[in-house]
Amino acid sequence: MPRATLCTPHEHRITRRRFLGTTGAVGVSALANPLVAEELKKQKRQVLFVWLDGGMSQLESWDPKPNTPFGGPFRPIQTTVPGIQISELLPQCAKQMKHLALVRSVSTQDNSHSAGVDRINRGDPKNRGVVYPYFGSAVAKLVGAGESGLPPYIWVKPMSGGFIYKDAGFLGPKFGALALGDGKPPENLLRPKDLTTEEDEERNDLRKLLDKNYSADRRAELTEANSYAYEMAAQLQKRIELFDLSKLPQKDQDRYGSHDLGRHMLLARRLLEAGVTFVKVTSYGWDTHGDHFNGAASLHPKFDRPFAAMIEDLADRGMLDNVLVIACAEFGRTPRINGHIGRDHWPEAWSVCMAGRGIRKGVVAGKTNDRGTEVATEPVDIGGLFHTWFRALGIDPSETQYRNGGQPLPIAHEDMKPVKDVLA
Amino acid sequence: MAQPKKGPDPNAPKEFGKPLAPPTQVTRVRFSPDGKHLVAACFDGKVRRWDVGGKESAELPALGGHNGWVTDLLFMALSPKIGDKLYTTDSWGRLTVWDTDGKQRWTVESAHDGWVRGVAHTSDKAVVATCGKDGYVRQWAAASGKRDIEWKVGTDLLSLAIAPKGEWRLFVGDQFGIIREFNYVSGKPGRTFEAKELHKLDRIQDVGGVKCLLVSDDGKTLFAGGAEPKTGGFVQCIPLLVAFDVASGKRLSQWKGANDNEGYVTDLAWHRDGFVIFTTSGQPGQGKFHIWKPGDEKTLFSGGKHPNCHSVALHPDGDRIAVSATNANSSGNGRVKGTGGEYRANSSPIQLWSLPKL
Repeated sequence: MPRATLCTPHEHRITRRRFLGTTGAVGVSALANPLVAEELKKQKRQVLFVWLDGGMSQLESWDPKPNTPFGGPFRPIQTTVPGIQISELLPQCAKQMKHLALVRSVSTQDNSHSAGVDRINRGDPKNRGVVYPYFGSAVAKLVGAGESGLPPYIWVKPMSGGFIYKDAGFLGPKFGALALGDGKPPENLLRPKDLTTEEDEERNDLRKLLDKNYSADRRAELTEANSYAYEMAAQLQKRIELFDLSKLPQKDQDRYGSHDLGRHMLLARRLLEAGVTFVKVTSYGWDTHGDHFNGAASLHPKFDRPFAAMIEDLADRGMLDNVLVIACAEFGRTPRINGHIGRDHWPEAWSVCMAGRGIRKGVVAGKTNDRGTEVATEPVDIGGLFHTWFRALGIDPSETQYRNGGQPLPIAHEDMKPVKDVLA
Repeated sequence: MAQPKKGPDPNAPKEFGKPLAPPTQVTRVRFSPDGKHLVAACFDGKVRRWDVGGKESAELPALGGHNGWVTDLLFMALSPKIGDKLYTTDSWGRLTVWDTDGKQRWTVESAHDGWVRGVAHTSDKAVVATCGKDGYVRQWAAASGKRDIEWKVGTDLLSLAIAPKGEWRLFVGDQFGIIREFNYVSGKPGRTFEAKELHKLDRIQDVGGVKCLLVSDDGKTLFAGGAEPKTGGFVQCIPLLVAFDVASGKRLSQWKGANDNEGYVTDLAWHRDGFVIFTTSGQPGQGKFHIWKPGDEKTLFSGGKHPNCHSVALHPDGDRIAVSATNANSSGNGRVKGTGGEYRANSSPIQLWSLPKL
């Protein structure tokens, strides 16, 4: 008689129990247990990378300049850290400021999306004729998948998903991102009901044989990646319950929000709880060249609530000690307000927010001038941020190198240095 | 066959004088009831004023005290003994009333929690009403600033208008294209008028809404301005102006722009001869002012001198208007510098125009 394709309740219990023992991915009470948290701290180095595609305005978020020519209409508000103010559009984040660190002196190179997205995600190292990995791929390589049995680099994003191997650069396709389109598991993840386990295994054996034959005359990385994608799918198949957010308390769903970004952040929390090493969450539509202030009034609260809820939840679970959280984009937005009441692209002086593993709590590093038009302290390029993030994860870029076929390559721009003011 | 030579457009307004040049962008312009002053609400928290009664315009001292942006202006014509009043609002929640000589009469610092979107007065001039991003409509005693009735709508209220005649109708338009009616005497909520095409949820961004409202002088027609948004972010949208019959609530007519680079309808003025004069924001370099006879498919005139128009004021004589727009080349990624190498803010040239016989 064919077995059911879904896990049985019994299997579920075992999995969850095992899971509790390793990652603590269930109820708050278990995760709030200091012993569990301590165990997590020992075992895990994880990253949540929130990417606000198009560029969130620093002036309406982390670096307000009220009552200045470029300050815009919104008020600054006090945070839980005396002396640190952020925009009124981020009231929930203001409550979590005690956990956050801001770098207000970010100054990068590109004012176009096409160049900026890649350069920021790859850390803009010196040109050595190779394509560097995205930060997610780098962490997947340098930290590894851990013991969760889940893919090390998962990208939760709107629209379509798939295996995004281009992120991996010279590391090889294996370190690409498994993208979950609209936060859903990959299509056809579950074994068809009419296929037995034995038949499925036979099918996979056949696939491996064909892969082997196919790769005989081709680059091994491609077939390796193909096989890897299958293996990842098989791993996810065992954890299909992660994707069912409806089982979570309604309160959680309300706190994160029912919109894309809220749902995707809640899924990201589940994936981090389950032990995924690197979770990237992307939100599109932040390129507010027109009607920017009404756009920000609509968009920013949809970042504010789930991001703050995430910080609060990770802190409650003791997970902020092992999860590095970053909120970033390809650039900020111009101080100058254009005729369509929009703000354009601005890499010159913007802000990045971070929290968690290796990061000081409740601090601001760097500053811009009174009008927000220049970095007034030492500028921080993305290379410096990569140094900061690697060090926060316990990886010393001065002692760690990639090997690209025999070619040693630095993991971050060797002329840049970390932002020490935000490192714990 | 040779095309007949096109003569000057008889419906084209004629510009006169040099544009007024506030050093900052402007959200709203209005003439004083006597027509001698033009006032501009500015991005730098100032209310700038000009004496436009003579041949040459002369700038008067600006009014300060506001925070963020000054967001709306309202003149109230009163008896010579009392003197006209100017009500101003800002994006930090403040409502202030001024004498025409610039003396501040009273201020409510927190009329709303944040951005005050609009201010209007009742037909008997006893009350001014405001609406805000906080989702409230509030009424204030015009003479004292004492708070009166308030309604909680709960959505971002972008625009406000009060019928100058007829029943005591107050209208507010929200970000979702819904216009709600209230009786400002009884305090009872009334009907809703829908122009939902003025809103679009694009990804996670609510785009558009009822950007401006106007009631005709006879109180019979309600106009709702905004745009049909196509995208968020860049905000490509086709301007749209919808006319409603106030009595029945039915739609009467509409004017719609041709392209999605023309922006929102940003401000409206009613001309006594039955025309609506309005501005459109446009993508950078686009945006005009328009003259439209409700019911017509096309405008009588669409044009202007400067792009990205955000406000229009009709002079009390009905023969002149002032249009605030934006300097050329207002957009650009990265550090776009001025001719002197400085990083400059944009500004809003305000051009005066004489209207043709409509």
